[in-house]
Amino acid sequence: MRPTWIVPLAFLMSTQVLAADWRMDPAPSRLEFIATFEKNAAPGVFKEFDTRLARFEPDKPDGAKLEVTVKITSADMKSGDVNRAIRGPEWFDFGRFPQAEFHAEDIRRVAPGRYLARGVLSLKGVKQDLEVPFAWQESAGAATMEGELNVERLQFGIGTGEWANGSTIGLGVRVKFNVRLRKEG
Amino acid sequence: MLANTADAWGAPAKFFHWTVALLILVQIGLGFAATLWRLSPLKLELFVWHKSTGMLILVLMLARFAWRLANRSPALPPQTPAWEHHAARASHALLYALALALPLSGWVINSAAGVPFSVFWLVPLPSIVAPDERLEELAKLVHFSLLVALCLVLAVHVGAALRHHFIKRNGILIRMLPGTWRNA
Repeated sequence: MRPTWIVPLAFLMSTQVLAADWRMDPAPSRLEFIATFEKNAAPGVFKEFDTRLARFEPDKPDGAKLEVTVKITSADMKSGDVNRAIRGPEWFDFGRFPQAEFHAEDIRRVAPGRYLARGVLSLKGVKQDLEVPFAWQESAGAATMEGELNVERLQFGIGTGEWANGSTIGLGVRVKFNVRLRKEG
Repeated sequence: MLANTADAWGAPAKFFHWTVALLILVQIGLGFAATLWRLSPLKLELFVWHKSTGMLILVLMLARFAWRLANRSPALPPQTPAWEHHAARASHALLYALALALPLSGWVINSAAGVPFSVFWLVPLPSIVAPDERLEELAKLVHFSLLVALCLVLAVHVGAALRHHFIKRNGILIRMLPGTWRNA
């Protein structure tokens, strides 16, 4: 029978030693979105975004908090015509909604190295629950967070009016991220 | 017969001539409609039709060019003056060159614009140049200039065919008409 003080001490040590705050290294980090255009993949990137992961302990992610901010106006779909079109009110509406955010305080491990962050995505003035799965790989104070998910653009009022029928621009958008993080402090 | 003879076009040559002629007329209409339409799903659909028709014309013209090289062409009437021989040869060469160059320049526009495109929504078309907005603008200018040239040469071509039929009263126009017209 182990002494009763071991358990609180171990808990204290684990949160202090293992649960770390992480900040994104922007240069190698990528946030892509893949729309469909006339049944072709139409990829784009958000060139500016930031990820913060607070109090994340890979073995016990309960208390962690994930915050992602995306500069929507940094969207680049590699085509001048398309980039001009997506600024407008029917699409991203850069003027009114220049930034999107995702906040999650419910992060759980679903398999070794695999996690699910359940939170809220605020995009184009709409808040929607969203589940973001990610894989976590850590070594020597740096980590990679990688995953992908589907977003239904109409839930956020993106592509309204005559674009709302998905025949020319598909309704589902694949979002992929590969984020490089460094342990803070 | 399929092959051309000294005074008659075979069925493949006539098929190529009239199919490409019809497609070029449709294509010019689609091109203007797609360009002038306001940005909307219909505009994007019109562009898919225009680009797809362009690729169809390109393939047909390549096959037609090969067929023309592999086959003799019917001769002009013996009394035809030398300048008409030269004019016919030059205008036909120009028509072939323009009917190939227009779809190719369109392909450059699409590639430079970085817009993904599948021919008739089925066959993904690879890019022939990297996305580049300045090249896109240049290719658009070239595409439109080639269109103007094509319209001018087509006017000469149609005018010459009508002149042969109504003024010179020879069989040049009739012999390109399909089927039963051949012996008229």
